[in-house]
Amino acid sequence: MLNFFHRLPYSVTSLCVTLVAVLVIAYIGLIAITMSYAALTVEFSQSVRNNEAVVAALEQQYFAAMAHIAKTDYAAAGYVTPRTKVFVPAKSVTALR
Amino acid sequence: MRAQFRSRIRIILALVVCVTFLILIRLYFVQIVHGEAYAQKADRQFASGGSGLFDRGSIYFMRKNGTPISAATLSTGFLVAINPQTLENPEAAYAAITAAASSTLSYNAFLAAAAKKTQVYIEVAHYLSEENGKKLAAKSIRGVQVLRERWRYYPGGTLAAHSIGTVSYGSGTTLSGQTGLEAAYDDLLSRSGDVLYKNFFAELFSNVGNLLVSAKDAREGDIVTTIEPEVQTRLENDIAKVNQRYSSQRSGGIIMDPRTGAIIALATYPTYDANNRQNVNPSLLGNPLVEHVHEFGSIMKPLTLTAGLDAGVITPQTTYNDTGCITVNTARICNWDLKARGVIPMEQIIVQSLNLGAAWVATELGQERFRNYFTTLFGQKTGIDLPNEGRALFNNLSKPQQINYNTAAYGQGVAMTPMQMIRALGALANGGVMVHPHLTSSIRLKSGIERKLDWSKTIPVFGAKAVRDTTEMMTAVVDEKLEGGKAKIPTMSVAAKTGTAQLTNGQGGYYSDRFFHSFVGFFPAYNPQFIILLYTNDPRNVTYAADTLGSAFLDLTHFLIDYYAVPPDRGFATTTPA
Repeated sequence: MLNFFHRLPYSVTSLCVTLVAVLVIAYIGLIAITMSYAALTVEFSQSVRNNEAVVAALEQQYFAAMAHIAKTDYAAAGYVTPRTKVFVPAKSVTALR
Repeated sequence: MRAQFRSRIRIILALVVCVTFLILIRLYFVQIVHGEAYAQKADRQFASGGSGLFDRGSIYFMRKNGTPISAATLSTGFLVAINPQTLENPEAAYAAITAAASSTLSYNAFLAAAAKKTQVYIEVAHYLSEENGKKLAAKSIRGVQVLRERWRYYPGGTLAAHSIGTVSYGSGTTLSGQTGLEAAYDDLLSRSGDVLYKNFFAELFSNVGNLLVSAKDAREGDIVTTIEPEVQTRLENDIAKVNQRYSSQRSGGIIMDPRTGAIIALATYPTYDANNRQNVNPSLLGNPLVEHVHEFGSIMKPLTLTAGLDAGVITPQTTYNDTGCITVNTARICNWDLKARGVIPMEQIIVQSLNLGAAWVATELGQERFRNYFTTLFGQKTGIDLPNEGRALFNNLSKPQQINYNTAAYGQGVAMTPMQMIRALGALANGGVMVHPHLTSSIRLKSGIERKLDWSKTIPVFGAKAVRDTTEMMTAVVDEKLEGGKAKIPTMSVAAKTGTAQLTNGQGGYYSDRFFHSFVGFFPAYNPQFIILLYTNDPRNVTYAADTLGSAFLDLTHFLIDYYAVPPDRGFATTTPA
C-alpha cells in the first residue's frame, strides 16, 4: 500500500486537498444552480400565471360583449320588424315536405 | 520536520473530510428526509399562509371555429394579512388596506383582529390586483404582509355556471370541485403538491425518473367542453326572458347535436355568478337539468307514436275514433280542450296534440311492449359527465292498471330529467338511435397530449322508417300550427312538439291551473344538426307551452341557422309575411 502511494507522481495530501477543493466547489456550484433554478422557476411560473390572468380578463370582456349583444332590445333601439322575410331559394335536399 | 508537517496535514485533512461527510449527511436529512416539512415552512414564509399557492386545471368552452375560451381558469393577485403582534398603527394600516382592496373586513372587525395579540397571522383582504398589491407592499407597513395569492376565476360569471360547477372546501380542508364539471373531473383538474420551486437535490437523488417523465403530467390536465359560448349566451338570455315574463319557478333549456350527443348549450334560470357565491342559495348550485325530474306532458306523444309505428301496430294512415273523453279504470281522461274529433288519422295526434290518440296507441301497443320501449328510453341514467344525475320515475308502469299506460303515453304520471328527455327525443332526430349526451369533448394532459373522449356508445330504440314518419308529423306542427303557420321557414324543415303538463299537488292529484310547459324541436328535420328542449315550470297567467316557449324556440332556431350557416334543405316559396 505504501509502495503504491510512493509510486504516484504527487502526494496523497495534495490529492486529498484537490479532491476536497473540487467537492467544495461542486457543492457551492450546485447551491448556486439550485438557487438560480428555483428563482427562474418561480419567475417563469408567475409570469405564465400573470399572462393567464390577463387573458382571462380579456375573455371576461368578450363574454360581457356577447351578453350585451344578446340582451339588446332592437325594437327599443329604434329598429322595426321587416314587413316581409325573403329566404334564399334552394332546391330540396333532404326534406320530404 | 517534514514527517511531522505531513501528519498534521493529514489530521487536518481527516477533519475536513469528516466535516464534509457530516455536511453531506445533514444535507441528505434536510433535503430528502425532512424536505417536505421544510418546503411547507418555506411556503408559509414567502408564499402565503397556507401550504402553497392554489393551482388547478382550466375548463374551456369551444367556439364553433375551434377556438378554446376559458370557462374556468386561475386569477393571480395578492392577499393581505396582519401580524397583530407587530402591527403598530391599526387605523393607518386599515386606511391603507381599504385604499388598495375592493373588499376587506369592516373597520370594527379589523380592529378586533388587530387586538388579538396572541396571533401572528390573520388574513384581512383577498383578491387584490397585481397593481394594487404591489403598491400596498411598497408602503412597507409594519405588521402588514402582502402575499401572493391565486384563486379560481370564471370569466363568464353566470355563463353556464351550473354546468361548469364550483370549487370550495366542502367538508374537507382542501379546495376541490363540488358541483358540475369541477366535481366530475376533479381528479384531472386537481394539482397535487406542485410548489413553485423544485428541490433540486431531492429530485437529483431520489426522483430522477420524474425529471424526465412525470407521472403527474400524465394524469393532470385541462378539459375542453362542447359548450359553444355564443349559443350558450343566447340560450341563457332566452330562458331568462321566459322565466321573468311569466314569473315561473324555474326554466331551462338544452341544445344538443343529436348525431353525437355533444351538448352545445344548457341553461337554467335562476342562476348565479360563479365568482361571487357569498349570498347564493345553496339549492341553486346543483344542476336541475340532470338532477330534477318532471312530468313533461305532450312532448312524450312523438315517442309513443314512434313506438306504435315501430312495433307495427299502427301506420301513418291508421285511423281511430276520437270521442273527446274516455273512462279507464274509473279515471276519466280527456283531450286538452275536451272536444271530440271523430275518426282521424295518426298525424292529427301530434298536430292537434290529442291525449286520447296517444292513449289509444298505448292501448294498441299493449302493456308489455309499451313498458319495454319506456324502459329502453328512460330505464337508465344517461351517463352524462355531470354529478348527481337523477333517475326517471315510472314505477306505475309495473302495475296492471291500463290508466297508467294511457297517461304515460301523453307524458303524465311518469317523470324524468330534462337530459333523459332530450336523449330519448334525440332518437327521433338520429334515425332511432339514442346517443350518449356529454359536455366534454377532450382532455389536455399536462404532458401536452390531447385525448379525445369516446362517447360513441349508442342505444338503438326505433327503426328508421318509424322515426321518419313521426318526424313528418312533427314538421307539420311547425308548418301548419305554430303561430298559426307563420312560424314556417320556407327553406328549412323544422320538426317540433309542445307539451303542457298539469303540476302535481303533492296529495296524489294535479292542479287544474298550474302547469309545466315544455317544447322540443329539431332541424333540419330529416338530417338534424340541432335538437332543442325548453321548459318552464309553473308559469303564471298562461296555459299553453306554445305561448310561453314558442317564440324562444323560434328565436333559437333562427339564431342557430344563421350562426352555423345551416344550408337550406327545402325550396318552398321564398317570401313570407313577417
